[in-house]
Amino acid sequence: MAKTATSTESSVKENIYPYYLPGKIPDNLVERFLEAFATVLQFTDYRQLLDTYCATSAKCNRCSVACPVYLASGDPRDIPCYRTNLLLEVYKRYFTISGWFKSRLSSRFDLTEEIVNEMAVAFYRCTACRRCTMECPLGIEHSLLTRLGRYILSLIGISSKALQVSVDEQLEGETHNTSKIPKVALLDTLEFLTEELEESFGIKMEYPVDQYDREFVFFAAVSDYLMEPETLMGNAAVIYAAGDWDKWTIGTGNYDGINYGLFYSDWYLENIVKQLVSEVDRLRGKKILIGECGHASRSAHDFVPIFLKQDAYPVINCMEYALDCLEKGKIKLNSDIITERVTYHDPCNIARSGWIVDQPRKILKSFVKDFVEMEPHGINNYCCGGGGGLVSIDEIHDFRMDIGGKVKAEQIRQTGAEILISPCANCKKQLKELVEHYELPCKVMGLHDLILKAIEIPGGKSPQERKEEAALYEM
Amino acid sequence: MEQWIEFAKGPLFTLTFLIMVLGLLRLIIPQVYLLFIRKRDVLRDVKWSKIIKDTLSWIIPIKHFISGTRLFSLASYIMHIGVIIVPICIIDHIVLWEKFFNINLPSIGQGLADYLTLITIACLLILLGCRTFKKHQRAMSGFMDYFLLIMVILPFASGYLASHPNYNPFPWDVMMLTHLLSAELLFVLIPFSKLAHIILFNFDRTSGVHWQLRPGAGDKIAEALFGKGVKI
Repeated sequence: MAKTATSTESSVKENIYPYYLPGKIPDNLVERFLEAFATVLQFTDYRQLLDTYCATSAKCNRCSVACPVYLASGDPRDIPCYRTNLLLEVYKRYFTISGWFKSRLSSRFDLTEEIVNEMAVAFYRCTACRRCTMECPLGIEHSLLTRLGRYILSLIGISSKALQVSVDEQLEGETHNTSKIPKVALLDTLEFLTEELEESFGIKMEYPVDQYDREFVFFAAVSDYLMEPETLMGNAAVIYAAGDWDKWTIGTGNYDGINYGLFYSDWYLENIVKQLVSEVDRLRGKKILIGECGHASRSAHDFVPIFLKQDAYPVINCMEYALDCLEKGKIKLNSDIITERVTYHDPCNIARSGWIVDQPRKILKSFVKDFVEMEPHGINNYCCGGGGGLVSIDEIHDFRMDIGGKVKAEQIRQTGAEILISPCANCKKQLKELVEHYELPCKVMGLHDLILKAIEIPGGKSPQERKEEAALYEM
Repeated sequence: MEQWIEFAKGPLFTLTFLIMVLGLLRLIIPQVYLLFIRKRDVLRDVKWSKIIKDTLSWIIPIKHFISGTRLFSLASYIMHIGVIIVPICIIDHIVLWEKFFNINLPSIGQGLADYLTLITIACLLILLGCRTFKKHQRAMSGFMDYFLLIMVILPFASGYLASHPNYNPFPWDVMMLTHLLSAELLFVLIPFSKLAHIILFNFDRTSGVHWQLRPGAGDKIAEALFGKGVKI
């Protein structure tokens, strides 16, 4: 096992934990780590998983050629199997009978503070994209162990400041959302979006707020209200054009679909899922409609049924909804509007499992004339480099640009696309930074941003009129 | 020496084979219990067809021969064919199947068995070479990773030499005893090492299934570590 360079204890912590919560890292790291690990094993089913991985991990290293981080860095600690092995070695040594025997027979492995430090760094160099699992002959899900490692570390005070501050605000803050947008600001934003839509379409589409007994309760990544107004306008335009305007609502009790617990903590994951569901309960909604966000969609889609069991609400991604409307003829997209070359980035959280792969492509191909695929794409796509919550950690911006997103940047360049569609708030942020960093000649936007340009709304201005008006405005 | 060989062929073979079978059962029973009994209700929506399809995709892994792994993957794939077919279907072992289990298996013929054995050994040496000389493989290989490769080569090499006196520089009985003992050591190692993937190879793919988190587990962990009501 590679040892991390150390000098004095304090400088180690300064050097290794630049982006963790200050003052929370304990001195007795090893004891605390083992105590937290043992407690996690006591109350969860991870032991079964770890036993299986210990018994099967052949360390064949095929995962190394699948990992975009290792492909860019060439650093052995970025090999998924290597990272997994950091945790498996600790598990084998301290929590299995064979490990206990081996420790009596030899002193081959003991957990040290350096190894805990190494784990803290290694686990936050993984974007949890799960591409390595696709190329593992045994199907080991390395990102699951990365996440478990992060969970244990978080229990001893080692967690990313950016993620921790966000989830704390979401669960305990006044605003209950990760961007600290108060209700009054949300209402102002929705009013602004309504005005923008009216100006564009000539129709007043007032966003429904706190309406009871609606079919859909809508949760966007809350940052969209600050940074991606066109995505939210696109969502509204689709629902309006489909004639479902009286079937949806946004709740002011909780309007954030983000769940960073997915990246590092079972406790936060569960409680944020429950908070989201409690808003649907309050509004007596029937379904959860998630906006353009990969991890928000996955955390609701995969974990609402697990934490809420039979009380679970169906979770629908907005692209599933849009395709359904398109296929039923409820919306019409003008195919003469988008003339640029367009490509599509698959957000790992919704694509890797095969859940949302074809839907956006069917929508795009219905109105985009020059659509090109990245290679590879779909369930085999490369991560944008900001997955697993890394995009929120500004302190590792250089890592995200030079290593995490390097492969993706080259992929984008090869398509020659002028528009890069990325239906995920996190991917969009990372890709916008990548495009700037690598000086790629393309614009990053959401799928609904593009739909907004081409959608035809009965009684409203045509897409052609809107395009001409927009051109005049830009002049 | 003759008595040692007889001992290795008889009681020692039975004992080590039994250790392997019981050891593998020890691994597989909890898996089956977890999936089909304890979590049966919460696994209603698991996409078993995808899990099966993914597993089967590795039987003819054409799409998995990706850049950077072709030599390793090809060697690994052929090696697996060899280590499955040769020990089971070689004519000398057919007799053992009949003797111990009363099972009549088809023989692959001496000629094919010889070629397959040599190819398997060559593939195992390529894997050993990759592990030794490729930077990213060496970085994470430990003693057991090299030792197990050698342990798999040993019964193949000794078996080939024992059945080909012309190429064998050692006494026949020494080679035969090496073959028997190395194979039996391998039997014992299988359930206690990564070689257990011979039986658990498809259970990793249910790891998504394992992530059926227990509701309330996070609270219990927080309470155990920090006390009731204390912020995590």
